[in-house]
Amino acid sequence: MVGFFVFLCGISMTEKRFPTVSNIAGAGLGLRSSHYQHIFETKPDVPWFELLSDNYLGEGGLPIVRAEAIRDLYPITLHGVGMSLGSADALNTEYMARLKSLADRLEPAYISDHIAWVSIEGQYTHDLLPLPYTLEAQKNIIDKISKAQDILGRTLLVENPSSYLMFNCSEMSEEEFVNGVLEQTDCQLLLDVNNLYVSAQNHGFNAEKYLETLPKNRIKEIHLAGYEDKGKYLFDTHGYTVHDPVWKLYQKALSLFGSIPTLIEWDTDVPDFDVLLGESKKAQKILDEVT
Amino acid sequence: MSKGISLFELQQLFYKEVFDADSTENAEFYKCIKPAKNLSGEQSVNVYKDSILGGLTEALSSIYPVCVKLVGELFFNHMVADYLKRYPSGSPDIGDYGSEFSAYIINFEPVKELEYLADLVALEWSWHRAFNASDSPGVGVCSLDGLAGVAEVDQGGIQFVTTPSAVLVRSIFPIHQIWQVNQEDYVGDGIVNLDDGGVCLVVWRNAAFGMRIDVLSEHEFEFLQAVVDGKSFSEIATLACASDLSGILGRCMQTGLIAGFTLVN
Ligand SMILES: [Fe+2]
Repeated sequence: MVGFFVFLCGISMTEKRFPTVSNIAGAGLGLRSSHYQHIFETKPDVPWFELLSDNYLGEGGLPIVRAEAIRDLYPITLHGVGMSLGSADALNTEYMARLKSLADRLEPAYISDHIAWVSIEGQYTHDLLPLPYTLEAQKNIIDKISKAQDILGRTLLVENPSSYLMFNCSEMSEEEFVNGVLEQTDCQLLLDVNNLYVSAQNHGFNAEKYLETLPKNRIKEIHLAGYEDKGKYLFDTHGYTVHDPVWKLYQKALSLFGSIPTLIEWDTDVPDFDVLLGESKKAQKILDEVT
Repeated sequence: MSKGISLFELQQLFYKEVFDADSTENAEFYKCIKPAKNLSGEQSVNVYKDSILGGLTEALSSIYPVCVKLVGELFFNHMVADYLKRYPSGSPDIGDYGSEFSAYIINFEPVKELEYLADLVALEWSWHRAFNASDSPGVGVCSLDGLAGVAEVDQGGIQFVTTPSAVLVRSIFPIHQIWQVNQEDYVGDGIVNLDDGGVCLVVWRNAAFGMRIDVLSEHEFEFLQAVVDGKSFSEIATLACASDLSGILGRCMQTGLIAGFTLVN
């Protein structure tokens, strides 16, 4: 047998294992694969990292080992899109089992997904699609969140979506829909301030009023990201620094809800780690000003 | 009629609009939507359509970078467009998407002349799977240390088990060379002679997470194929590779390609 090519992707791993972290605080960062090496080498001062659960569903290999190495250094949360909570399909129990075993392995402070759907009849779009705000859709997502929580044995965080269209059959506003979900389940809200701003601009509703309707004690995490201004609409690319109106809306959210753990998301054209770090420092400064 | 439409029907219509532009039901879908305030219905829907199809295309290009390089990004996107429509993604893990791309390419008329392309794509898929495969064999597989304890009468019933990442690939073209000269860090003249003939390969990941493509002899390939097919030691002993069995087995155990064994009666 001729050894043809060998690609060694060794990383230095720590033996130390921190105890389970049950909580997070401060301004964390979304972990992106291009930054692993930098993080292991420099151990930057970041209060916590959010990992995209759907990137660690493989049965083994380097990604999950790296995730464990990050978890040994920092508190983490798991964030995904695969539960398809808003789909008329039943929960995908095989996916939920994979997610549970990932959570058991990584011990995240929180697991989150979205108030949206990604699949129908078992066919996946891998994209977050909008829901009609009807009682039927609300009952459906409430049932599925409860079942997901039962399988995971944990409380879920669900995130408000960004959207580019709504449905004529909607019977209520997005905030009524979200509040109903929070009232009828014991899940918590992951408030994405950028998503809220994007949707409010695209559909012409008042984002601040939306915030005022939300229950203060049910918001456990905030997301911030940079949208792209497409002229006729705002597109949620997560490919820019956070824009000024979103920082303003964030300040408003903190004034209402207090110092909520906040995460900077960046998914397209991911820049150097220091750019992300700069964004999280900016968020931390605003958090520090909250009394 | 959008009032009264069920969640299931609405989501079905949405899915159809994205993946089947010619569906007669699409007009029905447009009656259900209220576009963003400065967009037309079509523009609103296209934001989603472009994002979904773009995301899936991106997923395939990250699994098949050599294929992208060989045919060019524009042509790759064209090649993928029809695949996306014909092969829905059946798993929430986007890493599972694209398994049938090699089979699809065989029948994709415009690349018929690139005879090696389907095999090369199969090699890239194997790499992708090996990268994410489980670290250790499943439960019930004995470690190789236990071999010494197998009584002589039972040895014919030994069934070897490969490391979970191992994928065997063979082609009548030197696809490993084509793959190599198209790697980012490749240095050389980049010339591959298609007449160099076929090759037997195993794509796998070693214990240090090193990804490997190893060239196998015919006998090594036959042996590993028999192992993957679940053949017992006594069955393997009747194959052509039996002439060099101890040598092959020794090498495979040393590298970690053979990771354990089970016993059958
Ligand atoms: Fe978010």
